[in-house]
Amino acid sequence: MKATDAETERCTDVQPLHRRGDTETKRDAHLAPETAPVAVSIEHLSKTYPVPLARLKQFFRRKSARPVEALRDVSFDIKTGEVFGLIGRNGAGKTTLTKIIATLVQPTTGAVKVRGHDSVGDEQLVRAQIGLASAEERSFYWRLTAEQNLVFFARLYGLPDRAARTRIRELLALIELEEVARRRFGELSTGNKQRMAVARALLNSPPILLLDEPTRSLDPLAAARLRALIGSLARATPPVTILLTSHNLAEIEELCERVAIIGRGRIRATGTPSKMRALHRQQERVRINVRGVAASRVAEILPDAHAEVSAHDADVLITLLREPSDDSLDRTLRALLADGARVVSCETERATLLDVLESYEGEETEAEAQRLEGGRKEGEKGGER
Amino acid sequence: MKGPNRLRGLRLLLGRVRAFMVRDFQLALSYRLQFFFKMLEVLFIVTTLYFISQIFAGQAVTDFAQWRNPLAAWLTGLAVLNYFMTGFSSLATAIRSEQMQGTLEGVLMTPISVPTLIVASSAWDFVQATFFSFFYLLIGWLFFGVQYRGNFLLALLILILTTLVLASIGILSASFAIVFKRGDPFAILLGTGAALFSGVLFPTQLLGSAFGRVSSLLPMTYGVDGIRRVLIEGQGFNEVRAPVSTLCLFLVVLLPFSLWVFARAVRRAKREGSLIQY
Repeated sequence: MKATDAETERCTDVQPLHRRGDTETKRDAHLAPETAPVAVSIEHLSKTYPVPLARLKQFFRRKSARPVEALRDVSFDIKTGEVFGLIGRNGAGKTTLTKIIATLVQPTTGAVKVRGHDSVGDEQLVRAQIGLASAEERSFYWRLTAEQNLVFFARLYGLPDRAARTRIRELLALIELEEVARRRFGELSTGNKQRMAVARALLNSPPILLLDEPTRSLDPLAAARLRALIGSLARATPPVTILLTSHNLAEIEELCERVAIIGRGRIRATGTPSKMRALHRQQERVRINVRGVAASRVAEILPDAHAEVSAHDADVLITLLREPSDDSLDRTLRALLADGARVVSCETERATLLDVLESYEGEETEAEAQRLEGGRKEGEKGGER
Repeated sequence: MKGPNRLRGLRLLLGRVRAFMVRDFQLALSYRLQFFFKMLEVLFIVTTLYFISQIFAGQAVTDFAQWRNPLAAWLTGLAVLNYFMTGFSSLATAIRSEQMQGTLEGVLMTPISVPTLIVASSAWDFVQATFFSFFYLLIGWLFFGVQYRGNFLLALLILILTTLVLASIGILSASFAIVFKRGDPFAILLGTGAALFSGVLFPTQLLGSAFGRVSSLLPMTYGVDGIRRVLIEGQGFNEVRAPVSTLCLFLVVLLPFSLWVFARAVRRAKREGSLIQY
């Protein structure tokens, strides 16, 4: 038994849970991410999955697949109490990055430090401070009840029996699983299984939570409640640092203070969702629906010559692009009202994270096409020689 | 500070072993019938062996002292084989079954070291093996008049020693499971070869000189021989010093080697990202 086993016990002291509403009052105590200390530091992280038994295959002169480069020079920090979003397409490297932070996979180069502890050298200390909730429902014992599963994992965290029981009762109440606590895990619905993963991740009150698509299988109401819980954990005292990966971009926008976009193993951009949107598209699109005026007349009276006008029965739809701070919307509305038009609705459409993601995806596809084209030309030159 | 830390570490280790044992007991309870059928199976095997032994009644070869009562020799052989095979296979099986179920990721997310995981997750197998090994001997004694004599503590010492040696080979087998996932050469060598070469069902002397050499390379041969000498022939420590010394030698060589190989296997699997794959 290593000394670190004993040390890890200190990290498993049970913290009281903050229920919904309770944490709202603690918002002031929550450190602003800019000034908060770094909870997770990722420095020049690269991961290339080697080909298993490559030397043996070479020895027998068998063709083997090429090593897979899953991450390339990834660097960013997550501040204490921050909800940090990680978005990207399937196979972008999100899971590999999460697993490296969780010590389940070793990086090829670079380092991950969790509250100052190295993920390779101090893996048990790192694990004692991390809770991972993945969407993998097979990571529970299906023939044991929900409660038996949680008791087992609580014991592995080193929680004393009485503290474990209290904690499990609290968690089951918090994520609304009390009624199914005595049912076998295999009999639970997919959504409840996913909530069990969140409960397990919270067992030892970890200061850092890794949430991999935590609301994927939840109904809308349960998903909203879980999002509220995630938000409250980050605002709790002491705050929980959360790395959230999700394909639900609305969820990421709602919860995350900062977001990283990952594509083909590289971090493409990092920043607040609003900054990312602003970087992607400076202008915002405004849709105005009016009645009581003909479409042809609208085109004449509008101050903005670039506005698109279309008629749908009695409605006329005007679409214009504007700088967020200019007065073009004000001028347009005044002109319409002065001409006797009735404004039925006016909607502003800003760039979403999906737009941002799509733009990076477009860049990547273009770069890949150029790379392939370059490779093809090189090949042709080689052939000519 | 080291003392209290060690004590806390030991308490944590025992807590985790208990967690795995309770889990496996609960899982076993969810398959209640399996346990009773296993008991029935042992009963049938012992009864069958009793009737086979009746063929040789009064004709036992006197050269092989342990085999004058073949039923006693078979029962001790099967009882210790059951235990040894658990020592050998349970470590690899523990990793493999967690990989297959998909639960390894959940377990490895807790602050548990891989060696602790292996020891703790095979603990229940040893409890079961102890039960069934004694069940073999108990049925023989209770229903078929098989008498055991000698120093039971000495027999236990040889049992533990042999189990540790086989557990070392089991660690090699677990290392193989971690890296290659399937196809374990140790299991083939020890699993199928054990009954043939280690004298569980017949005296190793009958194997002849060529196969006899194979037999002398297997630690199980010394374990089975030592325990039979104590329980059937009633020999003391001085008489069984040879098999005990050989087992100690096996342990000194195999244990550090297997731990070294195991550490390398875990490192490699983490590098390849295949630790939780099956």
